[in-house]
Amino acid sequence: MMAGTANFSVSCIPKLTGARALDKERQLRQFLAEVERRALRIAEIGVRDRDEALDLVQDAMIKLTRNYASRDREEWTPLFYRILQNGVRDWHRRQAVRNRVMVWFQKAKPADNDCDVIAAVPDPAGRSPDEQLENAEAMQEMELAVHELPPRQREAFMLRTLEGLNVAGTAVAMGCSEGTVKTHYSRAVHTLRDKLREHWQ
Amino acid sequence: MNKTDQQLAQQAKDAFDRSVDGLDAATLSRLNRARQAALAELERPNRQWQRWMPATGVAAAVVLVMITFGGPGENDVISAPATDLDILLSEESIEMLEDLEFYSWLDTQEFEGNGDLG
Repeated sequence: MMAGTANFSVSCIPKLTGARALDKERQLRQFLAEVERRALRIAEIGVRDRDEALDLVQDAMIKLTRNYASRDREEWTPLFYRILQNGVRDWHRRQAVRNRVMVWFQKAKPADNDCDVIAAVPDPAGRSPDEQLENAEAMQEMELAVHELPPRQREAFMLRTLEGLNVAGTAVAMGCSEGTVKTHYSRAVHTLRDKLREHWQ
Repeated sequence: MNKTDQQLAQQAKDAFDRSVDGLDAATLSRLNRARQAALAELERPNRQWQRWMPATGVAAAVVLVMITFGGPGENDVISAPATDLDILLSEESIEMLEDLEFYSWLDTQEFEGNGDLG
């Protein structure tokens, strides 16, 4: 992860200067703060690894800021998720290649012995361990089922249901037509209904 | 979507929302750093032009080779762009720039005329 920077100049937002640039920076800061946690969980469901998901979210944030900061606020959500979904797809491609290479070398994954003190802090929402466990199990089932969906169905389901984008926004984020979004989404829901029926009804 | 599907979607969304709310402090801290790093991009100068550097370099090299090894008539190749540049950089009237093709032709005629005299 890249180190953060505390002070920001607003003079380099493309084609914007003065008060408008300042306002744009404020909007962008607010947008990223609003979207980052949900984006992380969506990426995490996609790649099943939090560290990788964090990197993907950071990359998406940087690309959005670098290339689309001057766009209207309403455009940012679908653009951001489009960048993120492209990142997830690229990650899977790289992972497939890496796995093929790893078969040959059988390189062992290094043990993770890091002890994270901050991670040991109690649940910020103040839930009991039982509640956390129950929710974690439910989420785990759902996550696994969503992860096992075909990639495009997974994207449609996550963007429509979990992120709450409308059909048009999902189409922009997925780079396809609204009709295709509806088809993928419908198939995803049917598959999930069959898989989760026993546990969720 | 029927009622069962809507219920399933709602349950999935509720579980997802709870998992978002339950993100640990270390993860939130890393997200904050990621956001700051992204916002730091705003103070970087726009480097879009750097993307074109390789292509521009290749194009410049090709032009240089064409000029250097252009073979017979290379003086024409060099003089035409040089003449155009002179005109564009001068403060002549816009009418003259619009008639650039005519003046170029006129220049050729004079050159051929001189050739006949020689």
